[in-house]
Amino acid sequence: MKIRNLLLIFFCVLASCEERIDIPLLSEDKNLLAVDGVLTNESVSHTITLTFPYQMMNSKALPVSGAVVLILEGNSATYTLTEAPAGSGQYVTPVFRAVFGTTYTLWIQYQGKEYFAQDSSVPVEPLPVLDYYKVNDQYSLALNESGENANYIDHRIDWKTTPACLPDNACEGRIVFYDLKTIDVNEIYKPGKTEFLFPVNSTIIRKKYSISSAYRTFLRSVLSETEWRGGLFDVERANATTNLSAGAIGFFAVTSVVSDTTLVVEKP
Amino acid sequence: MILRSLSFTCISILFLLTASLPANAQKIPEKKITLESKDLSLAEVLEDVSKKSGIRFSYNPKRIQAERKVNYQAIEKSVAEVLADLAERFEFQYSFVEDQVILKPAKKTEKPVEQSVTLSGYIKDSANGEALIGSTIFIKELQIGTVSNTYGFFSITLPKGTYEVISSFVGYKHFSKTIDLQTSIMEDILLAEEPPVLNEIIVTAASDEIIEEIQVSKTNVKPRAVEERPALFGEMDVLKSLESVPGFKLHSDGSTFYYVRGGQRDQNLVLIDDSPIYNPSHLLGLFSTIIPDAVTDINIYKGDMPASLGGRLSSVLDIHTKKGNDQHTQVWGNVGLISTKLGVEGPFKKDISSFLVSGRFSRLQWLAQLQDQSIKKFSFHDLTGKMNFKLSATDRIFFSFYTGSDNYFSGNNGINWANNAGTFRWNHIITDRLFLNTTFSASGYDYFVYTDVSKNQRWNSHISNLNLKTDFSYFVNPQSELTFGLGVNGYRFNPGNLQTGSSNTQVSNVSARNSLEFILYGNHQVTLNKKWGLNYGLRLSSWTNSGEAFEFKFDDNHNPIDTLVFEKGDPYITYLNAEPRLTIQYLINEHSSLKASYSRNVQNVHLISNSISPFTSLDVWLPSSFNIQPQRSDQVSFGYYHKLTRSGISLVAETFFKKLHNQIDYETHAETLLNPFLESELRFGEARAYGVEFQATRNEGRLRGTTGYSYARAKRTFPELNDGKSYNAFSDRPHQINLTLSYDINLRWMFGVNWNYFTGAPFSSPVSFYNYNGLEVPVYGQKNNDRYPTYHRLDASATFKLNKNVEKKYQHSLTFSVYNVYGRKNSVFINFNKTEVSERDFKVPSNLLVSDRAISQFYLFQFTPAISYNFKWK
Repeated sequence: MKIRNLLLIFFCVLASCEERIDIPLLSEDKNLLAVDGVLTNESVSHTITLTFPYQMMNSKALPVSGAVVLILEGNSATYTLTEAPAGSGQYVTPVFRAVFGTTYTLWIQYQGKEYFAQDSSVPVEPLPVLDYYKVNDQYSLALNESGENANYIDHRIDWKTTPACLPDNACEGRIVFYDLKTIDVNEIYKPGKTEFLFPVNSTIIRKKYSISSAYRTFLRSVLSETEWRGGLFDVERANATTNLSAGAIGFFAVTSVVSDTTLVVEKP
Repeated sequence: MILRSLSFTCISILFLLTASLPANAQKIPEKKITLESKDLSLAEVLEDVSKKSGIRFSYNPKRIQAERKVNYQAIEKSVAEVLADLAERFEFQYSFVEDQVILKPAKKTEKPVEQSVTLSGYIKDSANGEALIGSTIFIKELQIGTVSNTYGFFSITLPKGTYEVISSFVGYKHFSKTIDLQTSIMEDILLAEEPPVLNEIIVTAASDEIIEEIQVSKTNVKPRAVEERPALFGEMDVLKSLESVPGFKLHSDGSTFYYVRGGQRDQNLVLIDDSPIYNPSHLLGLFSTIIPDAVTDINIYKGDMPASLGGRLSSVLDIHTKKGNDQHTQVWGNVGLISTKLGVEGPFKKDISSFLVSGRFSRLQWLAQLQDQSIKKFSFHDLTGKMNFKLSATDRIFFSFYTGSDNYFSGNNGINWANNAGTFRWNHIITDRLFLNTTFSASGYDYFVYTDVSKNQRWNSHISNLNLKTDFSYFVNPQSELTFGLGVNGYRFNPGNLQTGSSNTQVSNVSARNSLEFILYGNHQVTLNKKWGLNYGLRLSSWTNSGEAFEFKFDDNHNPIDTLVFEKGDPYITYLNAEPRLTIQYLINEHSSLKASYSRNVQNVHLISNSISPFTSLDVWLPSSFNIQPQRSDQVSFGYYHKLTRSGISLVAETFFKKLHNQIDYETHAETLLNPFLESELRFGEARAYGVEFQATRNEGRLRGTTGYSYARAKRTFPELNDGKSYNAFSDRPHQINLTLSYDINLRWMFGVNWNYFTGAPFSSPVSFYNYNGLEVPVYGQKNNDRYPTYHRLDASATFKLNKNVEKKYQHSLTFSVYNVYGRKNSVFINFNKTEVSERDFKVPSNLLVSDRAISQFYLFQFTPAISYNFKWK
């Protein structure tokens, strides 16, 4: 049992409570450019997503359309990205793989303003054995730290083709497990997460991403504002860091990836 | 007009009396007479002399102390000898002119030193010998007085004479005694506690400490007031009671953190018998370590500290524990829902020596283990002890200790923190006007996070100190008191390192630090005349760090550029600071006064934490050094103080302006744990606070309590944060109202109520969101751009004395209390990242393909009833 559960017991016993509150957000339209893009060592078309921040929680981000987006591979090559589909704010590269040891530069021109970001990948360690456990008739992922270096593992879980998938249900899920190898009070005492269950015969595609030093700093700040926020030992709220220039937000990352696919089988 | 008539009458009577003088008046000085005057005025004594000797007197009763009473006896003494005696006592000169004696006041320069005598001693509770700190001594004939000091000692120097000495203290019967003061005497004054009565009308002294004390921004809290206050789970708590003091702002429910006049939470010094307590909290802050049962006096200084106190910018909470009953043994205690308290005190030798031991132990472990069998420890405890010995009439020694710890362990993990403090004190009366207090104290605080109990692998943060100080109080005269002293403090800081059971595998990431501080101070409190008083002082401090340590230097971009390594014992940086203090008092009349003050404070120990949590977390302390300059504050205060004598209500209105320099804030998402470059995460700036505070207090009578209102603002400005723009400090809660009342329904039932209201605390709320890797990331605008909802809460309690007979040796009572009577949901946190799994169960979503987050608030303690049983065996 983790320490945070121990502490939560006390507060639960003493009638602590969390409930919805209707308070207006002091929204501001800052017209910022938000970048979400990761280049990997996979030989694929990589996607850079450009959006504007939105003011209502759970809203769909407004795409930034019509930007000129380039990726410079060291001093050797330049890739021009195209928005596909048009108006989506998603810019895709030609097929190429990001090479370890090379610095990649993202260049964006939008409404006369230029934005830059740079990153380079570090090696990725092998994926650990996938572990999951039975909860009633379904299964849940057992997520544990792995390796020596900071990383995150993206789990895409799909059971659309199984008999357990009922009509009108999504029958898919995505769980990302971050293992930044940092020591933070708010991480140690982070709030609990919802339990995500999936049926037997689900397919789990895992990708383990390496994380550069700057990317780790960014992810640590993002997690401080998202998954680690709301525990008993919250830290000062602040904007996540970025490697983008000119006031843009988000991060342009270059990583190394390993992946595997697992079919969930019956377990006692 | 009355005096003029009296003067005329005296002269006339004397003229008539002396009309029949014999012709041989020249020999009158040698004439032997016998007198026995008891409690007669000088005029009456002179009249008697005149009758018996036949001499006439001529004097102006306004210029000599004709109405002052005297006990005088002369057997077969010459008239000249009698006159010499009286002249010495009443400070007049006399001369024989033909057949009369002319009296006139003695010239001050001619006043012989021997004419002054000193009355000194301790003022104590007659039932248990406890020193009554801050009790008043008043000399009726001279209309002057003084106050007992922190140790209950008083000294007042007067002309020889017979005086009615009056002493008083809140909750005690007035003491009055006529003392013939021909030589300096040391005499303890014993005050008896008022028996419980249902008094509607209070008769108080015209003047009051709050009016006459030349001190601003000080509040004295009586332990009784804390005990009578409704408390969470019935756990009486000194720190929690501070929310009733205007200018103090508690962090939120469930917290012992507090902020004073725009300061930060590490800018408050908590002293228990002169030893600092670094983390006075239990159960993460739900309760404080300080319970009122073992406390005799609580003084709170909101920045305007006496020069003898310092080291923090915003406040000092100066707590003195009971020394123990030196008359008889008594046992007291309390059984509540959360903990059990037990105290024993009594004499080793009656009037000479005594002891006190009290403990509090939590009883929560069984409850926690019902929830989860893997819980191994879930407990806290306090243990306080004190012994005192009266070695002689002039020497007393005290030894006190405090230890408290919290332990929460489950499986192979756990957290633990502990405060330990010990004090040895020697009080010595050097002369009847010079008092010496020497204190040697030690205290330490450790915070452990166990990551592997079986291997004893743990993260530890530590701060400890050894202090030696000597304080002198010189009572020059009733109008003038000089205090001065010096001290040396040694500190040890471990800002947090990982430790294992084996010393070979210990990895030292962050350098431990050692510091040495020298203090020299002087303070002079003087009453200039009937209207004006002055209290001025200076505190000089020298702060030096020394090896073994290593420190980093950083460039303007906070990148490390150099590592400095210092050998053991090598001093490497010194800060010298002067902290002047000045208070001016103007007595408007005996019921009201005006005071103004200026004070500068310096702080060299800094809490490094970017937590916004109300709960005790992993605290890291660092000293001033290359990268952290001493924090400094300048505060100006102005106050009006008034006593309503009929109702016994004290009114205080104070306004203040405070500027704080070298304030600490943090780089966004600073790494404060196991970070060797911790200091590169710090940002420095300025802060300012201002406000006005009103408070009305009534400590006696059937209805007691305090009410207050304050309007105060606190802003911070850091060049590298918030685009360099000023932002609201967390303690910026402009409006604050509090009301605490206790009412004796009858001799057995007492009702208490407590209501607090303040503007919600500032926090940063998102102005928009963006998506990254499936996460909804908030975007913030200006720092602390929003506020939590307004806080308010009503508590109530009723105490029933189970004894009908108050004289019984075993006294016991039941206290019923309700915290948050109307169930206000006061926000502790507001979250924007959780989803409602089921009713009132909020979690962070695992599946990033679903977006159904809601704004939620976390709150504590809606309508929390409690019952506790209190007992005392005396």
